[in-house]
Amino acid sequence: MNAPAYHVMVVEDDPHLAAGVVENLRAEGYAVDTVGDGRKAVEWFESHHCDLLVLDVMLPGMDGFAVCSTLRERGTKTPVLFLTARGDAADRIRGLEAGGDDYLAKPFHLQEFLLRVRAILRRWDWYRASARTQGSDVLKFAGNEVDFRAFRGRSWNGEEQELTEKEAMILKVLAEKPGEIVSREDLLEKVWGYDVFPSTRTVDNFILKLRKRFERDPATPVHFLTVWGVGYRFLSGDGS
Amino acid sequence: MKRTRVFQITVLLLVIVAAVQVGYWLFDQHQQGVEKTAGLTRLYDQESAAAGTMLAAGLPVAQVQALFPDLAVSADHVELAPAHRAELVAEQQRRMTQYLWEGGFFLFALFLCIGAIFIALRGEKRVLNEQEQFLALVSHQFKTPLASLQLSLETMGLRQLPPERSKALMDRMLSDLTRMEAMVGQILDSSRLSHGRMELKTEAVRLDAAVSRVVSQYLERAQTDHISIESQIPSQLEVLSDPIALDAVVRNILENALAAVAPVGGGKVLLTARALDAEVELVVRDSGIGFRPADQPQLFRKFSRLNAGAGSSYYGTGLGLFIVQRLMQLTGGRVSASSEGLGRGAEFLLHWPRVVEHS
Repeated sequence: MNAPAYHVMVVEDDPHLAAGVVENLRAEGYAVDTVGDGRKAVEWFESHHCDLLVLDVMLPGMDGFAVCSTLRERGTKTPVLFLTARGDAADRIRGLEAGGDDYLAKPFHLQEFLLRVRAILRRWDWYRASARTQGSDVLKFAGNEVDFRAFRGRSWNGEEQELTEKEAMILKVLAEKPGEIVSREDLLEKVWGYDVFPSTRTVDNFILKLRKRFERDPATPVHFLTVWGVGYRFLSGDGS
Repeated sequence: MKRTRVFQITVLLLVIVAAVQVGYWLFDQHQQGVEKTAGLTRLYDQESAAAGTMLAAGLPVAQVQALFPDLAVSADHVELAPAHRAELVAEQQRRMTQYLWEGGFFLFALFLCIGAIFIALRGEKRVLNEQEQFLALVSHQFKTPLASLQLSLETMGLRQLPPERSKALMDRMLSDLTRMEAMVGQILDSSRLSHGRMELKTEAVRLDAAVSRVVSQYLERAQTDHISIESQIPSQLEVLSDPIALDAVVRNILENALAAVAPVGGGKVLLTARALDAEVELVVRDSGIGFRPADQPQLFRKFSRLNAGAGSSYYGTGLGLFIVQRLMQLTGGRVSASSEGLGRGAEFLLHWPRVVEHS
């Protein structure tokens, strides 16, 4: 069921829990590496690559949030699944703001964990495949240019833009259906999956960021249009 | 809580006393200012009028003066004698000074009480914060072994495992349970110690027996973590302590040492003891993660975990060394720690009163 090519990195300082997670991921056919220290995890990424990072929050050396932010700052786009005993809403949001993709509170159900791992990898597969196959790895609209594979772009005024993976994924979902209404729920499902966020407002914040990057006047958008009460519509023309 | 209530009542009493005092001042002032002054004014007016009439009738000034000693009489003028006026002014001033002193004292006492209440409230807030922090920490510390237990059980439920894998998972689960049991023990101990609900005996206890009993319980875990525990305790050494407290102290100090050595991938814990003049000294030296000398004062504080996470794989409640210090204090001993820095190991010195030998 799972392509054995998937490589998962597990960063967990509790030896028992780490062993349990690693054994189960291996049993599902993933190639797994593990370290028990935040700093070592960051060092590992200097010379390695993986498809998914399973990251504990309370770690020696450097906490999980810091590990995730550091990796994002260094341009690592690997999806991150936080696995931690701190399960309140504020902490979830903090994890996702640090660049995490999903969040699972300890103690967790094994099958839910495996499902989430599969879901994250599936979303990334969709993104990579659609960025690769349809000749749509580059999106051009009204003087803006976005390279989905490099997560980079150039806005209408010539400014270089470094996109986060979530911004790129949202843009990708919208650009696949130009002119059509895409609901917030669809965006959440496609980009995040599951019930990671407490509200669909989070999507709105990402749309605001996209407008800031690519609209000539973010206050009166012509590309990223809000359809009140439903969701968003992407128009590639210059709106004139 | 009790202290704050006492302060609150004290302030209330002070406010009542101050209010009564202010009432008295007003009454006194009224007496002095209105009644006495009005009486004097009346008297002065009557005497002045009488003196004026006598002077007009042609009585000699000296005679009129002799009749009205309170007045200063001259040929064309009658007024209150300067000595008398000065007396009245002095009386007024005396009262004002009295009011100032009394008022100042009450204000001082009031501010003192408010300050004390403020400090007490801050102390209470700190205790509440500590309790909250403690709850968060305890729940966090329990969630990791719980997650490990659940994962092991669900793995067994989900997969067909060969017997040796099932055995390994069961061992892991038992170890998680032991871990939680030890944590519960620590939490209860620290709670009892914080509230002073621990009855301790003082008797002669053989140190080598106490240490070797604890060490034997940790050998398996030490082996798993590649740690060697070496114990060199002379057999005749006896300390004055409570046997249960001594056991808890050695257990916690050894747990701390193992937790410090495990993250560096293994090493050594050495326990040595010797007799001093009036004390017995136990030295526990480990080759673990150590601590910054500047962090030394925080080491024995409740919930203090200097290398948060580093030693958290086992028993990381932040209570172990707090328990050690409190138990040592309660049994007449003391504990101190030193390290040359992070990654350079640590040394813990424990001193108990020595059993006086009969000569």
